[in-house]
Amino acid sequence: MVEVALGTALAAIGAGLAVGFAGLGSGLGQGIAAAGSVGAVAEDEDMFARGIIFTALPETQAIYGFLIAILLMVFTIMANKALPASLGLVAIGAGAAIGFAGLGSGMGQGITASSSVGAVVENEDMFARGIIFTALPETQAIYGFLIAILLMVFGGILG
Amino acid sequence: MVEDITSLVTGLGFPSIEAFLAVMLLVIAVFGAIVVISLLRPVLGMFPYTYPNARVRARIGRIFDEKQFQEIIEAGNIEEVKNYLRGFPDYAKYIDQYPLEKALDTQLAENYDLVARITPDNSKDAFRFLLKKWDIRNIKSIIIAKEAGLNSKETLDLVVPYGDLTDKLDALVDADDINEILNTLEGTEYAPILEDAIPLYQETGILLPLEASLDKYLLKNLLRTVSTPEDDNTSYLKTYVGNMVDGANLKIILRAKVDGLKYEDIEPYMISEGYQIREWKLKDLMESEDVAGVISGLEGTEYAPLLAEAMANYNDTGSISAFEIALDNNVVETAKKISLKNQFGIGPMIGFLSRKEKEIKNLKIIVRSKREKGFTPAMIKEMLI
Repeated sequence: MVEVALGTALAAIGAGLAVGFAGLGSGLGQGIAAAGSVGAVAEDEDMFARGIIFTALPETQAIYGFLIAILLMVFTIMANKALPASLGLVAIGAGAAIGFAGLGSGMGQGITASSSVGAVVENEDMFARGIIFTALPETQAIYGFLIAILLMVFGGILG
Repeated sequence: MVEDITSLVTGLGFPSIEAFLAVMLLVIAVFGAIVVISLLRPVLGMFPYTYPNARVRARIGRIFDEKQFQEIIEAGNIEEVKNYLRGFPDYAKYIDQYPLEKALDTQLAENYDLVARITPDNSKDAFRFLLKKWDIRNIKSIIIAKEAGLNSKETLDLVVPYGDLTDKLDALVDADDINEILNTLEGTEYAPILEDAIPLYQETGILLPLEASLDKYLLKNLLRTVSTPEDDNTSYLKTYVGNMVDGANLKIILRAKVDGLKYEDIEPYMISEGYQIREWKLKDLMESEDVAGVISGLEGTEYAPLLAEAMANYNDTGSISAFEIALDNNVVETAKKISLKNQFGIGPMIGFLSRKEKEIKNLKIIVRSKREKGFTPAMIKEMLI
């Protein structure tokens, strides 16, 4: 059995938190947006492209989580060095930051996207405003992403 | 530093750093689970409505606005109205298939059918039951048509091909008299209602008891489908249906008071499980001497101010249509409020059906006005609801 240092194991949990929770939020959000888009396309075929745009927006949270998880894995688990427990905790902090921020942001964005799809299919002129409203919940994911990067840089993982 | 952390951890009673980390991870896991579950509950409640609401909102976007109604009102004749409607796929498919009014009703029925098909399970029973309004409308039309001596072709022009009776419609339309209609409906839920109501109709020639019996069956059972709300959505649905029930009860009472009917004359047609106006209150209202007595008896309910406003109109004209319009508008307003309050649930569907009903009613007003001579666009606009 391969011996894994405690810090490395903690970093693995951090990577899992990052991609797991961010992916959960993104998946739920995208599911809600997609369900709304399918309904809109069923009524108006011209809504396909716009439906895809709104459905794609909650994807970003999963990308942020995925990126943080990859960085954590590359600089900790795949670096083939025994990581101290303190760095492992930093990794958990980074993973939790983007994970939870991505969860809330993804779900919020999905609900807004679905609502925007409804608004656009009702009135085409709502497209630009719908995109702006849907983009707003992105900020929470960006905060989480930035904090995760800063934690990794100043916590010594990316240093 | 490491020693400091170790002493802090052991000072807290943990035998080692690993044990402390294990507890910490457990706390994070529990916290994460609580966050996920608390977030998931409202989202999962919203999820089943996203697809139907998008479809319904697409149709809300196609409801005619004021400018479009103005264009229809200004049409020179029925043919121009038809040509205008042919420009809209929702109407175009029925315009050349059916007479104009049947085409409009069929378009409305299609929307009821769509909502009943796509609505989530917890509200499906109510919307499916609501489809029976087309059965009831068809039965009434066929009975009136047969009594008026219309032939099968003319009767067929009056029925809408939606509801549970679509497979019996041909036989009903071909029926020679009311007895044959009753035979055809044998085994359906409508047979016992008609068996009781038709003799009275044939005896008096008054359609009201027949209509009221069928309407009572629909609304009473519709209210039953929403009697135990499971969540906010079904609770809003109950409010909407409840307002329809109260409105129907009040219309019957007011009409009866104008006609000088007594308690025992109208009691059989009342839906005793009213919504805001419960059984005891209904009894009081039915026992009122006149229309003014009914209005004052409603004091303390939300119906008092809106009917008091219509009272002035009634005093001027002697027609109860002002009350009927006020009660219909109250249902429309209720639907509008629900659609604004509950945008991620059942609200858009209730709001849509209510707005679509209004659109069709207005189109029918325009069509009838165009058939008659002497109605100017300004007069037609005045008549719209």
